[in-house]
Amino acid sequence: MGARPRPPGRVVKPLLDILQRLQDSSFSVAFVSSPSIWAYPTVLMLHTVGLAMVVGPNAVLDLRLLGAGSRLPLAALRQVFGVMWIGFAINASTGLLLFVSEAADKGTQWIFFVKLLLIALALTVAVLTKRLVFGGETDPSHPVPPRAKVLAVASLVLWFGAIIAGRLMAYLH
Amino acid sequence: MTFAAWLHHTPLSLALQSQVQWLWPLCEGLHFTGLALLVGVAGMFDLRLLGFMKRVPVAVVQEFMPWAVLGFGINLVTGLVFVVSEPAQYFSNPTWWVKVAFIVVSGINAVVYQFAFGARAARLAPGDDTPMSFKVIGAVSLVSWFAVLWAGRMLPFIGAAIGAGL
Repeated sequence: MGARPRPPGRVVKPLLDILQRLQDSSFSVAFVSSPSIWAYPTVLMLHTVGLAMVVGPNAVLDLRLLGAGSRLPLAALRQVFGVMWIGFAINASTGLLLFVSEAADKGTQWIFFVKLLLIALALTVAVLTKRLVFGGETDPSHPVPPRAKVLAVASLVLWFGAIIAGRLMAYLH
Repeated sequence: MTFAAWLHHTPLSLALQSQVQWLWPLCEGLHFTGLALLVGVAGMFDLRLLGFMKRVPVAVVQEFMPWAVLGFGINLVTGLVFVVSEPAQYFSNPTWWVKVAFIVVSGINAVVYQFAFGARAARLAPGDDTPMSFKVIGAVSLVSWFAVLWAGRMLPFIGAAIGAGL
């Protein structure tokens, strides 16, 4: 599947072969073609649960940094990162399963790499936010530093962008 | 003529169908975005009702709830775009009705909380544990929103085959 406009070069070809072999592996074939709702559909569903656990708590922290619910002490939101990392672990593992099972199709989609880039940037922003707001140099009870607001806007844009890019993988080939 | 067939021929449905190529992917992306906002914000509030983050007054956590309502609003509008443009595909799918049922459960649960417990919640001080009734409300909300998510994500896989008569 996946019509390729140009014949792949010397570097690209072995990579494409690996992706194709992953997609054609007995595991991938069994996983994708299994009629059980506990196979592909459940993994896909868990990927959405993980999405909610990563982006939801992040959005709460970002909204708080931008001024929403300002009576909520920032220190209470430190736990956001725990939920986020659990969600991220769910999505890294389910995402890996979903990728391997359709490696040749997904690995050649430009929008997939846009999604990965947006996630990498969003995670970087999350780590920077944690360091800035909870890192000790700033007292969480003090007014939100302007730099944290910039990070909050970047975080919202990057996570929502990652969601939309992920959804567009069903459409842009 | 069935309701689905009638709806499918309304000018609104026809207009949506004519734009489906860009409108459907856009609405799907927004539907997942709204989902994250709704589950993230409402989930935090549910956890407070369940007894987490006791240092923070319930009323303070509740200040975020308009953002959950925004997430729900985004998903109601985008969800209606899907249903109005392809009504039969949803009405014939039992898993879609499960989803709708859990949205109703979540809604009733939220209304019960607001009218029966809202005033009591405002009196809870930082450090106060929530009464059992609050914990039930929080648990019902958390479980039913995840049930909505489950049914929504599974409906192309479970009910579609039944709906198509397979």
